[in-house]
Amino acid sequence: MFKKLIEESTGKSPWLFHINAGSCNGCDIELVAVLTPRYDAERLGFKLAGSPRQADIVVVTGPITAQSLPRVLRTIEQVPEPRCIVTMGSCPQSGNVFRGSYSICGPLSKYVHVDVDVAGCTPKPEAVIDGLALATKILQQKRREMK
Amino acid sequence: MLLVLNALKYLAYILIFPGFLFSFLVGMLLTGIDRKIVARMQKRVGPPILQPFYDFFKLLGKETIVPDAANRRVFLLAPLVGLAGITVLQLFIPVFHFHVFDNVADVIVILYLLLIPALAEILGAAASGSPYAGVGLSREMVTILAVELPLLLVLLAVAKTVGSAMGRGLVFSLSTIVGYQELHGSLITKLSMIPAAVAFLLIIPGETGSHPFDTAEAETEICEGMMAEYSGAPLGVYKLTHAMKIFTVVSLFVALFLGGIGAGIQNLVAAIGLSGAFAGALSLLLQILVLVLLSIVLTIVCISFVHAITARLRIEQVFKYYWTIVTCFALVSLVMAWYGL
Repeated sequence: MFKKLIEESTGKSPWLFHINAGSCNGCDIELVAVLTPRYDAERLGFKLAGSPRQADIVVVTGPITAQSLPRVLRTIEQVPEPRCIVTMGSCPQSGNVFRGSYSICGPLSKYVHVDVDVAGCTPKPEAVIDGLALATKILQQKRREMK
Repeated sequence: MLLVLNALKYLAYILIFPGFLFSFLVGMLLTGIDRKIVARMQKRVGPPILQPFYDFFKLLGKETIVPDAANRRVFLLAPLVGLAGITVLQLFIPVFHFHVFDNVADVIVILYLLLIPALAEILGAAASGSPYAGVGLSREMVTILAVELPLLLVLLAVAKTVGSAMGRGLVFSLSTIVGYQELHGSLITKLSMIPAAVAFLLIIPGETGSHPFDTAEAETEICEGMMAEYSGAPLGVYKLTHAMKIFTVVSLFVALFLGGIGAGIQNLVAAIGLSGAFAGALSLLLQILVLVLLSIVLTIVCISFVHAITARLRIEQVFKYYWTIVTCFALVSLVMAWYGL
């Protein structure tokens, strides 16, 4: 009876958890811009969760430094299913300008399944919202496949 | 047979009106309106008003993670205890003329029941074994202590005013207080009760843990505090309890200070020239409608506006604020009531 309702709701209330894996702060600011009055992602139900246990979508920024790798993986494990992993910016995808550095362990897709990549340095808020909306669809799909 | 019917009646009270279902719907609606108003005040579009429903049903469909360090049973049962507490509390608060319990329902019971959701949250947080939850629960306890004193004084002032007007000392029965207001006009129109009403309005955001007083759930600071380890359905139940608590506290204000409106509605229905069961149903429906509208107004004034224009206080500021300013308002009212003003 509630199955359809839950499925519908999963697409309408995705909560974000943001992990900074050595980012230069550019993407972090842009993610905040998505949530603040100009773009206001809350109208689509997006909300920044305080704890990874309450999140649906994990947004990873930064080139995954050696220091941050175990923490990123541990945080992602703490997010309950169904969950989506979104990388933001070129860094977690390819390493960007940090590629080849001894302290970089990226790309993130070597370690976990990444659902959506939002490329750019930094991506525009429109692109981020587009990526997050895509992640929401995937989230709904994952919920449908649960059980 | 009568016993079965009575049991069914009370079951309907608990599950549908004025218990679970009714306060579930209204509480979620209030939370949704609150989020929308805050967004509009920040020049945002804001989430749809039904957003809390989406959040709740989404959380039901999520995986529930129980941490290794947690006491599994307490961790999972605490949200249900809180929900049960708030549902029972809802039964004790009259909807103007309509009340489930006649004489057993007094404000002292409400004072205790109002604590149960907060205590359940503390219990669950303590069982989760998270240091963030530990910080959160210690702050929640201080907030409870801070709010309880002025709340008690407000209730005493109301009890004294109604009691001395009826020549009975202190009257704690909520149905009597509402009944008195139906005969003599709402208490907020009395000079001595205005400071108490102001104090209660200031208590509402503290009691519901909303913005300047949400130190216990500071999401940017201590990872949602007491909720740090909760996920999935238990978290949804907590969110629901929280939404229902907003409605409960607001409707308690309506019962204590604006109870006289019920008489007006009944007179209105009588003036149209209706009588019998239909008129009773119509007046109950109108009373519910007025209660919901008043709750929306009070939520916007006491919670949304305050949320949009204030930053989070530190815990000792919360404590100081409630034990000085708000307590002063309540005390002024109590002293005036004692001298029969």
